[in-house]
Amino acid sequence: MDQLELLKKDWKKQEADLPTLSYDELSKIIHKKSSSIVKWIFIISVLEFALPFLTLLFPSYRDMSMSSYEKLGLTNFINILYIAVYIIVVGFIFLFYKNYRSISTNSNPKILMHNIIKTRRIVKYYIWFNLALVPIIGGVAFYKLFNSADFLEKVPTDINMTMLWLLSIFILLILVGLVWLFYRLLYGILLNRLKANYNELVGNGNGNL
Amino acid sequence: MTKELEHNFVTDLEKHQNIVHKVCRLYTNNQNAHNDLFQEISIQLWRAYPRFRGEAKFSTWMYRVAINTAITLYRKSKRRVQTQDFDTVLYKIESTSYDDTEEEQLRIMYKAIKRLSDIDKALVFLYLEDKNYKDIAETMGISEVNARVKMNRVKSKLQKILNP
Repeated sequence: MDQLELLKKDWKKQEADLPTLSYDELSKIIHKKSSSIVKWIFIISVLEFALPFLTLLFPSYRDMSMSSYEKLGLTNFINILYIAVYIIVVGFIFLFYKNYRSISTNSNPKILMHNIIKTRRIVKYYIWFNLALVPIIGGVAFYKLFNSADFLEKVPTDINMTMLWLLSIFILLILVGLVWLFYRLLYGILLNRLKANYNELVGNGNGNL
Repeated sequence: MTKELEHNFVTDLEKHQNIVHKVCRLYTNNQNAHNDLFQEISIQLWRAYPRFRGEAKFSTWMYRVAINTAITLYRKSKRRVQTQDFDTVLYKIESTSYDDTEEEQLRIMYKAIKRLSDIDKALVFLYLEDKNYKDIAETMGISEVNARVKMNRVKSKLQKILNP
């Protein structure tokens, strides 16, 4: 292609027009703050990991939910679930840290983008794991509530159980849907361009990374 | 990091800074964004420097980190207001050394390259830097065949832009 050869010649000539920074200017620049997306991914991910534990900082909320579980006879279920959750969360944090450490600009762009996407994917799975807990805990709690004598006495006779279950499922779906929307937005802002570049580089049209 | 390491790094950066400027020129549209990207690439180079073991030449390593930063880590350029037309600043072609047709062709070519995707820009950049397909493939993390195929596609894309 003749034009590209012409451009190559011109490209070399233009080196003379490039700005030149002094040693002192460069020394200052390297100590400035980075605005890399990896920094933001790390901050957001740490916040996401911490978020489910923030409720523990509010004793009144914790005691209130524990007393509700006690009333429904779910104390053992919740305690066992919490132990399982803690073990799984430690696993998630380990995987996140391992993947985060693998992000290096010394890698080629393909590996770098892949590692960033993989690291974010761990956090995404963590969020889905937390979301999955909502219907599990909610479902068991609703089941116990709908079968408790206290509750059944208060329910008007013209309301049947099917309607109550449908309403409960609807509330849970809305809750999960809102969180899902929030994440679509967050991922969109952070990673859309990176994903598009990755797909273009590896040559696949698959957007579900 | 030790003072000596920093001194070695800044000395090398000073010597090869034109590589970073050229990447910035391709990926930004105004002087502010150029400075911003230059800063980010320099920071990333400095952070990655302790892990640079001299397996490749410093300049070869710089190409990789600079391209990585431009296509992967940097997001700010779109938020910048384009207050100054970068074409007039850096792509000024002296009329004495070019005839009108060549000058016009180059102007259109530079504009066309600006319209390419991030990945295609990186390929064109390495091509303009006189890298062979093996080097382009290694820098980008793709196979040599893939690099050739992609570069041919870029050439036809440019051809289409130049001759719609």
